[in-house]
Amino acid sequence: MKTFGTAGKDVRPGPTRRRFLAGLGAGVSGPALAGCARGSSTAAVAGTASFGNDNGSWDEGYALASKALRPLTGYSLRPLSVPEAIAYKQVTQMTLQTSRASDMIKWGAGYELKQLARGGQLTDLSGLWDAYRDKGWVRDSQRDTMQYRGAVYGIPLYESYYVVFYSRPVFARLGLRVPGSWEELLHCATVLKRHGVTPFVSTQFGGWPAYEWFQELLSKVDPDFYAALGEGKARYTDEPARRAMDIWHDFIRKGWMTPPDYDQGNGAAGLRDGRVGMFLHATWHTKNLSGADMRPLKDYDAFILPTVAKSTKKSVITESSALAVPRSATSHEAGMASAGAWLHPNVQRAWTDYLQDGSANPVVRSGNPVVAGLRQNITKERRTRLIRYGEAGPPSLIQGNVEDISGFMTGQTSPQATLRSMAERADEEWRMWRQDEA
Amino acid sequence: MRTSTEPPAAARQRQSPEPPHLKPRPVAPRAASRDRLAAGAFLTPAVVLVSVVLLAPFGSTIYRSFFDDHRHSTFTGLDNYRLFFTDDALLRSAENTLLWVAGTVVLPFALGMLIACLTDATRWSRLARLCVIIPYALSGAAVAVVWNFVLSSDGALNQALSAVGLGSLSHSWLLDWPGNTLVIICVNAWQATGVAVILILVGLQSVPPETLEAASLDGAGPWQRFRFVVLPQLRPVSIIVIGMSLANGLKSFDLLWVLTRGGPGRATETLAVSMYEETFLLQRPGAGSAIAVVLTVIVLAASWLYLRRQFGEKGA
Repeated sequence: MKTFGTAGKDVRPGPTRRRFLAGLGAGVSGPALAGCARGSSTAAVAGTASFGNDNGSWDEGYALASKALRPLTGYSLRPLSVPEAIAYKQVTQMTLQTSRASDMIKWGAGYELKQLARGGQLTDLSGLWDAYRDKGWVRDSQRDTMQYRGAVYGIPLYESYYVVFYSRPVFARLGLRVPGSWEELLHCATVLKRHGVTPFVSTQFGGWPAYEWFQELLSKVDPDFYAALGEGKARYTDEPARRAMDIWHDFIRKGWMTPPDYDQGNGAAGLRDGRVGMFLHATWHTKNLSGADMRPLKDYDAFILPTVAKSTKKSVITESSALAVPRSATSHEAGMASAGAWLHPNVQRAWTDYLQDGSANPVVRSGNPVVAGLRQNITKERRTRLIRYGEAGPPSLIQGNVEDISGFMTGQTSPQATLRSMAERADEEWRMWRQDEA
Repeated sequence: MRTSTEPPAAARQRQSPEPPHLKPRPVAPRAASRDRLAAGAFLTPAVVLVSVVLLAPFGSTIYRSFFDDHRHSTFTGLDNYRLFFTDDALLRSAENTLLWVAGTVVLPFALGMLIACLTDATRWSRLARLCVIIPYALSGAAVAVVWNFVLSSDGALNQALSAVGLGSLSHSWLLDWPGNTLVIICVNAWQATGVAVILILVGLQSVPPETLEAASLDGAGPWQRFRFVVLPQLRPVSIIVIGMSLANGLKSFDLLWVLTRGGPGRATETLAVSMYEETFLLQRPGAGSAIAVVLTVIVLAASWLYLRRQFGEKGA
């Protein structure tokens, strides 16, 4: 019987288990390490521009936009979706430090974009912006949310508005009409409540939805104050903020709001079935309403929340993600070409028809009649476009304040205590932001 | 009966003479150094791996915890650690962590012991065990999604209570502190009890039946047999179950994050969630690093003290 260690000196040993394992280890670890070091998903693929984003459910829309982009740029879009927004932010911030960033990234506008731009990780797109402006494909007012220190770092991906969706059949059944004033809004809520329908969807479930009502009430009390707050030039404890919080508190006490842990994913079905009366949300929600078998202008419609006082300047909260090109993009040329053609009407028609939302290009009319009507109203009424709260301040300030608002919504803190806490945080965060800027 | 007059050692030597080829040979210095090299080569990957993925990041985290969170961070000494005494959210987080540790140690162990004892050696034991063990096979995120469906204000639990006429007991289970933390701890126990049951069952099956028979013959009743015969023999298993629960309680994250994201506000955060929140959401890596360091020290200290005490006593 052959035993280990008995081989004679004259016998040449064959490949041993150790050698086999060592060879196998080297064979596996080589490509693995190379793969880790380079990152295969963002590697250049001829004829494509990789597009990092946090919404995998929009891949079909990106594919439609890609079909329209390719004849214009020679590149098609290759979406790299990370389905969870927080994870996406982390992944993107990390890949921007490498030489293998995506060719384009989806990012928040306003201070989210400023924070990334000031790190020197994004490409200056001012040239592209000027070209768009010359063609009338962007408005000057959009530039503010896409710039940092005078240079543009993002192209708007879409333009959504924060509006109140309602069910036409439910309103008709209860004899309600679209509220044109604050008093009429209160009347609608009262009637809905009386008929066992929760008047408004309001939730802190998922984090960010907590600020939807905060931004809306604040801007409808005093839009200039809201804008000043976003520049760190007003205090959260000032009168307009107190007024807005009191109104909100009153709504909650009257039972007009859904529970704070209401899942917005159920909002479309709730509206359709008459469980909730009005749903304050962004116009990109139209796609979810279509998913719940609701047809625009037949089953649902939307209006912009009336101002609290008749004399108050009319405004609308807007949202637009930014499309940015990292300086370390794997195929920088492909990223620049795609960003330079994104607002082309052909691309925008394909994209917004899928999204059922507004285009960032003012020339392109939305395929959804509700959104098209809202945009017409915004233009006609000359409403001031305000950036949504999520991008209206340093990210750490917004995150902390959203948690404070959540606490208020669940009754943990009073309106006054909530505002005091937000004001203290704002003082500190704005001080840090300005110090860092300096 | 021994008949030989030979000394036993001499007899043993003659009866089993050691074959000459098995005699220990002096080890050549070259061979010894080759063995050491081989041992080093086998150890190196593990040492490098642990150093690169564990020790180096931990060292970096400790270093980072002494710097502030400005864009160009500067050394601030122990400022980030002072947050544990001044920041209300962190104080609440520390309270919640204590609740979690108590809850995740007591509930899975007590329930695991109860279920294991009740289902051991019964006809339907396999089915019962399967029912208890299945949740353990689910991911924390999946469990959180399911329980969110049950526990939200308009969720299945409140609807069921209303349906059976107990609507007055309906409650915002995930909104009010400390009730929300306690409810989440119960959800965690629902999932974690399975592994405790498995381990305790293994322990129960290793209890020699003779010891139980002897106790019965001595007149011990069922409770006495459990208390004085079974329980002491389950001690090694209990140490493992409690030790695991302790560590799991301190580092609990996934269930909590998916269920409430530490909210509403920051009401249900534990230290692990606070670490994530500060680092990635509030973008204060210095504060997040300080929490990570404190949490690591607590986990290591608690585990070490507990295991040292338990195994020390056993050995004594």
